[in-house]
Amino acid sequence: MDRPPLTDAPAPRAGPPSGGFGRLSFGFLGVSVLSGVLLVPFYSPAAAWDSLENIQGGLAWGFFLRALHAYSSFAVLVTMALHVVQVLAARTERQLAAGVWWRSVILLPVTIAALLGGFVLRGDAEALAALAIWKRILESVPFAGAEIARLFLGSVPGDLGAVALHHAGTLTLLLWFFTAEHAGRLLPDVRGTVLAALVSLALAGTVPLPLGAPPAASPAHLLGPWSLLGLQGALVYLPPAAGWLLPLAFVLLLGLVRHAESPARRTLLAALAAACAVYAFFTVRVLLSAR
Amino acid sequence: MSSRRDFLGQLWTWTGRALIAASGLVLFRALRSSAPPVREVALDAAAVARAVASGGAAIGEIFVSGTAEAPVARSLACTHLGCRVAGAPGGFACPCHGSRFDAAGAPVAGPARAALARVSLARRGDAWIARL
Ligand code: HEM
Ligand code: FES
Repeated sequence: MDRPPLTDAPAPRAGPPSGGFGRLSFGFLGVSVLSGVLLVPFYSPAAAWDSLENIQGGLAWGFFLRALHAYSSFAVLVTMALHVVQVLAARTERQLAAGVWWRSVILLPVTIAALLGGFVLRGDAEALAALAIWKRILESVPFAGAEIARLFLGSVPGDLGAVALHHAGTLTLLLWFFTAEHAGRLLPDVRGTVLAALVSLALAGTVPLPLGAPPAASPAHLLGPWSLLGLQGALVYLPPAAGWLLPLAFVLLLGLVRHAESPARRTLLAALAAACAVYAFFTVRVLLSAR
Repeated sequence: MSSRRDFLGQLWTWTGRALIAASGLVLFRALRSSAPPVREVALDAAAVARAVASGGAAIGEIFVSGTAEAPVARSLACTHLGCRVAGAPGGFACPCHGSRFDAAGAPVAGPARAALARVSLARRGDAWIARL
């Protein structure tokens, strides 16, 4: 028997809290992976900078492909961050089962690690500095630090093979699996993909991505990847272990939001907002000191 | 019926976990075995002589000074977090977090606390072998 609805309120939507930015983020991930795969035949992890110089100058549309990959990848993180804000503002985090929620939270550090890996793959002076710092940070993990550093970064100087493997393999697969599980679909939807592709194409066509300084160059200031500038600034004052402890603390705080009730939830959100503000402060500071 | 499905589901989950663990182990071993214990870098003796004659110069990741017969080598890896320092007025400067070192490699400003590491050099034929 059909019953009339008890109220006029719309029925809650089924499924995960996708939101516009979430879909868009998955779309950008699709563009990033596709453009990354297209770069592979022309890229050599053992002669990174030389191969990029060739992609940039010697390969028709090479400069465009590089920019497409870089900008779509940056947009994955930007839209993901906006999506998280959207979810927290709408208080929809409990629409995901606890396990899925935690895996979704892990998407943030995995994306940043993929971006850092890509930055290192450039093999220019800034990339080599980022690689050296990343190594020290991983080595500061107690007990297995040296092994973890070797596992992620390899051990042959000048060969970025291990970084490339994790960039295009481990990290990208994790990103895709966790995003797919969270979104409840294996592939990004058509609308998100088309929009992400249009934005990426427009950016790649209008904002050229320069080739970095050659690896032997010694510029007066070196900047890390934009998403890690705050950490670069904080590491002037903090020990190397802060490089993994601070991101870990942030991820744990964010993850706990799903399990907290009202006053505790507000405290967690305030702590996260404060952390973001301090991070933005250090980012600006590093940018100013490099001028 | 449902318990059989539960069992198959469990089997599937645990097989997946075992495969992930096994592939992690294989990757770990593969990358671990390629670790060289100490790296040796050969510096061309003529390049070392030129560096010394100019009062000290960088050859790759090593700064060479001293005399042609007894060159002194220092690593250019910053003792803060490992970026390569560059020559600057009065010594060396690090482009990553602003550490500064005097001409002898001692830290004078910034987050670095230790001096630039000395690298041992040994003559072998036409080259000086640096052990890093
Ligand atoms: C199958 C997947 C992928 C492959 C095969 C791949 C491949 C590559 C290659 C060959 C490079 C070096 C070329 C260059 O620097 O221009 C690179 C750089 C880069 N990748 Fe990927 N990538 C993949 C996925 C991703 C993902 C998922 C992200 C981040 C969300 C990402 C972010 C980056 C970034 C930021 C760079 C540096 C771009 C630059 O500044 O030049 N990649 N990638
Ligand atoms: S790595 Fe040189 S100051 Fe930090």
